[in-house]
Amino acid sequence: MAEAVGIALSEHFESVEQQREATTLGMWAWLLTELLLFAGLFLIALILRIQHPQSVTLATTHLKFWIGAANTAVLICSSFTMSGAIACSRLGWRGPMLHCMLATASLGTLFLVLKGYEYYTDYVEHMIPFLDRPYALAADPATRLFVDVYFVTTALHGLHLMTGVSILLVLTRMAARPHFLATHQNRIEIYGLYWHFIDLIWIIVFPVLYVLNR
Amino acid sequence: MSPSDTALLRDPGTPRATLDRPADYLHEEHTLRSWFFSTDHKRIGLLYLASITGFFVLGAIAAGLVRLALIVPNGAIFSNDTYNKLFTMHGVIMVWFFLIPSIPATFGNFLLPLMIGARDVAFPRLNLLSWYIFMTGSVFTLITLIVGGVDTGWTFYAPFSTTFSNSFVIPALIGVIIVGFSSILTGLNFVVTVHKMRAPGMTWFRMPIFIWTLYATSLIFLLATPVITMALILLIMERAFRIGIFDPTLGGDPVLFEHLFWFYSHPAVYIMVLPGMGVITELVAAFSQKKVFGYRFVAYASIGLASVTFLVWGHHMFVNGQSQLASTVFSLLSFAVAVPSAVKVYNWTATIHRGSIRLDTPMLYAMGYIGLFVLGGLTGLFLATLAIDAHLHDTYFVVAHFHYIMVGGTMLAFLGGLHYWWPKFTGRMYPETWGRVGAALIFIGFNVTFFPQFILGYLGMPRRYHTYPPEFQLLNIMSSAGATILAAGYFFPMVYLIWSLWYGKRAAANPWNAKGLEWTTTSPPPAHNFDQTPLVDFEPYGYANKVPEIG
Repeated sequence: MAEAVGIALSEHFESVEQQREATTLGMWAWLLTELLLFAGLFLIALILRIQHPQSVTLATTHLKFWIGAANTAVLICSSFTMSGAIACSRLGWRGPMLHCMLATASLGTLFLVLKGYEYYTDYVEHMIPFLDRPYALAADPATRLFVDVYFVTTALHGLHLMTGVSILLVLTRMAARPHFLATHQNRIEIYGLYWHFIDLIWIIVFPVLYVLNR
Repeated sequence: MSPSDTALLRDPGTPRATLDRPADYLHEEHTLRSWFFSTDHKRIGLLYLASITGFFVLGAIAAGLVRLALIVPNGAIFSNDTYNKLFTMHGVIMVWFFLIPSIPATFGNFLLPLMIGARDVAFPRLNLLSWYIFMTGSVFTLITLIVGGVDTGWTFYAPFSTTFSNSFVIPALIGVIIVGFSSILTGLNFVVTVHKMRAPGMTWFRMPIFIWTLYATSLIFLLATPVITMALILLIMERAFRIGIFDPTLGGDPVLFEHLFWFYSHPAVYIMVLPGMGVITELVAAFSQKKVFGYRFVAYASIGLASVTFLVWGHHMFVNGQSQLASTVFSLLSFAVAVPSAVKVYNWTATIHRGSIRLDTPMLYAMGYIGLFVLGGLTGLFLATLAIDAHLHDTYFVVAHFHYIMVGGTMLAFLGGLHYWWPKFTGRMYPETWGRVGAALIFIGFNVTFFPQFILGYLGMPRRYHTYPPEFQLLNIMSSAGATILAAGYFFPMVYLIWSLWYGKRAAANPWNAKGLEWTTTSPPPAHNFDQTPLVDFEPYGYANKVPEIG
């Protein structure tokens, strides 16, 4: 049963079209900022690979490749379900949209659980340089720097994902109310951009940290 | 006008109906709530104005104490530790909490929608949130600086900041990171506003130059700020959890911090300078009553500066072991910055040339700006030269250079713009004579303070040192004496601008006979800026370009 779909006009905009374009551009600008937030970390990892290939290989072989690969698949599936939510929202299909959103949130949570398990195995292998565990990897400084960059990058990505899941759950609750689609349909699309972006960041993180130099 | 009429005009408490004045954003509501929860970009601009003025006073007091300490060569006035905390306080407050938000967050917020004919910025609530984020971060850091103290300098260089400093580095960093988000959100708001909120007919090349510079600044906010956020987060990680990124004993690389830091902080120089250039362009055109010479070139130069500035960060690192090739490339790219800067200076002077010049206070500030910016810019070329930088690196020459840009440039532009738009902000005129006296004092005081520092630096006095050889004392005393003149100069606008809020003459809608949409609405503007959406069918700076009669 399709519902009415639309956007309520805020008073400072001239038209709904202007409002839709402005809010979408706003999210793109935010994503540009986010990309630059990660860019420095990617650059550190890539320069380390060029300058110290052996040390980086040593670090990479200790990363859990298959957990990373599984997580990549999980996130790609979640982007698929998020696209489904957006498509349903355009058609005004509230029920299927909510299901897609919940599926996206569960896949995001699954990613976090797998990531947590990966951190745990890292901890068991004495790879985490704090919490009173002696550091077991080679004394090579470049190896250690690479592992530290791995922790910071994945933790920052995990933080984004946690934020993403929380916002998604709130949004799902809001979207469950009647008239949401008639007044705020574009929020689903804007949120979708953010979710795809978190996915995209992981698509960069995975090869840069896990795959190259392996 | 009868005496009772003037009394009415002077007293803002008089009810609106008796004055027959159009409704405006200042008098619509008077409650505190209507200020602190306002989403009106004009009120938010004034919130920023009040807060950054407060930070400026604190930063200036710290600077005064630093100059006081340097009167004697043996450092007898403060302990070394106190001295380090004082110059850090000066740098952190002035850079992060005054200069970066100064023109964009105050004039930008107030004027951007007015100048492009919009009712508000694209995201008004986000705009208010930005101010709250700014205040949270800056007050947090301020308390840290005053109660605990930080001794790293505003640059937080590792590994000193992560391993060796015994001061309150982490809370200070957290505050600076929070303030960064405020910059990002302001930049995001401005970019979207410029793209999507322009009035019908306001094409890109009909926008005032100030909007072009704000746009360029906002792009830097968006692209550079996240990098410093990341760098400072890494500092906190290393200091708090010993996750080695920068400290060599933990596997890190200290030069990496400098790369990440200057990748933001060099563009940040243009966050501080570009909006000032925009302000000066507005002032020069209005007070010469002439079209901006080479409008398109000035617009392109703004975007050009914002682009080149991302490619020159390495010139802060000529003497710390980066490769000769990198240094040479960074040196050449730094020279390239001179081109768009010079385009701007030549265009300003060509705009003034044969104009009908009025030397009111804003124009005095603009003229001062052009001279000091040229001096600051040319000494920048010295520093971009590899061999000369090896001699001048980390000396007072550098300190003098960037103060000529930051104070001689941005601060004068800020004050000039403040006087120029004061009638629009408040509906009141400032007293012209006192304005001119203040501008002259600031110009003289500034030069007496900072010119000796060029000589000190050239003679080899390093920056951030508490003690110096006795033969440098004369120049240091000159500099400190200049700082008192400068302080007296700043005192003038602070007093008479506040005075003018109650006793200033009422301002007309367009007291300067200037062009631009912001002057087509009343002073102060109504809450929604324009009674009806303006239709822009004219070119920017439509002055007549009359040639003055020469007697």
